[in-house]
Amino acid sequence: MSGTRAFVVQRVSALYMTLFIPLFLLLVWFLPPADYAAWRHLFATPAMALAVALFFFVLLLHAWVGMRDVILDYVAWHVGVRFTLLALLALGLVGEGLWLLRALVPVVLL
Amino acid sequence: MRFLIYRYDPESGAKPHMQPFELEPSPGMMLREALLRLKAEQDEGLTFRHSCGEGVCGSDALNINGTNGLACITPVATLRQPVEVRPLPGLPVIRDLVVDMTQFYGHYRAVKPWLQVEGPEPEVEYRQSPEERDRLDGLYECILCGCCSTACPSFWWNPDRFRGPAALLQAYRFLIDSRDGAQEQRLAELEGPYRLFRCHSIMNCTVVCPKGLNPARAVGLIKRMMVERQL
Repeated sequence: MSGTRAFVVQRVSALYMTLFIPLFLLLVWFLPPADYAAWRHLFATPAMALAVALFFFVLLLHAWVGMRDVILDYVAWHVGVRFTLLALLALGLVGEGLWLLRALVPVVLL
Repeated sequence: MRFLIYRYDPESGAKPHMQPFELEPSPGMMLREALLRLKAEQDEGLTFRHSCGEGVCGSDALNINGTNGLACITPVATLRQPVEVRPLPGLPVIRDLVVDMTQFYGHYRAVKPWLQVEGPEPEVEYRQSPEERDRLDGLYECILCGCCSTACPSFWWNPDRFRGPAALLQAYRFLIDSRDGAQEQRLAELEGPYRLFRCHSIMNCTVVCPKGLNPARAVGLIKRMMVERQL
C-alpha cells in the first residue's frame, strides 16, 4: 500500500473516525449504560460490534499510513534504519490489532 | 544599511561563514543592485547569479532574511537589518550564493515538460478553445527560479526522490493541457510514495513564489487526478 492507495486509505479512514468518534461519544453521553452488563450488551449488538471493529481496523490503517509518512520523511538518510523502523511499526500495529481482537471478540461472543 | 552575507570558498578549505557588509542604499534600491554594488565597491570575490534584473529570468533566487525570494524584485528598504542573505536552502553550494541546481532541473526534466501528442499530426495548428487555454493560467508563468522547491521541507528531506513543487506545477500544466495525449503515462510516472505523495500541503511553496503562483493547489489537483484514475 503506497502512493495513491495510501492517500485514499488515509482520507477515508479519517472520515470514518471523524464520524464515529462524536457519534459514539454522543451515544454514551445521552444513553449511558447503567452497569458493566449494559456495556457488554451495547458492544455485543451486531451494529455496534461491526462499527467498533471497523473503527479499530481503520484506526490501525490510519496509524500505519501516518507513521509510515513520518518515517519516510525524517529517516530518508538510511535505508536500513528506515526498513527496521517500518518493520517495528508494522509488528507493533499487528500486535495491537491482535490485542484488540482478544479484548473485543469475547465481548461479542458472550 | 547592514548586511550579513553567506560566504563559502571551496578552494580555501575554510568553513562557510557570514560576512558583514555596510552600504548606503539609494532610493528604491533592490537587493540585486545592493549585491552588485557590494561586489563592485567592497569585495570583487562576492559570487551570485543574476541576469534580467526584473523578475523574469529567475536567476537571482536567494534566501533573504530566512525567506526565499528574487533579489531583483526585493526592495532593500522593506528588509529587517542586518539583512541576512544566504543561498537557496537544501541544494549544494558551489560558491557563496551560487547553488548547484542539477537535481532541481533533473526533476523538471523527469516530468517531461513538453507536449506529447498521440496519433497523426494535424495538418493545421493544434487548436485550443479559449476555456482550454484559460486552464493554463497560473501554471505556465513559472520561471523555474527554485524558490518553491528549496523552501519545501519535503524536498529538503527527500531531494532525490520527491519531484518538488516546481516540477509538479509543470507536471500539472501538461496534465491539463487539452493538446497533450500522455496523461496516463504522466500520472503513472508520479505514482508511488515519493515523487508526488511526499507533499503534505505545507504550502511554503505558495507563500514564497515570487510570481504569485500556487504549486500547492496544483499538487492537490494532481492528487485528485491520481485518485480518479484509480476509481
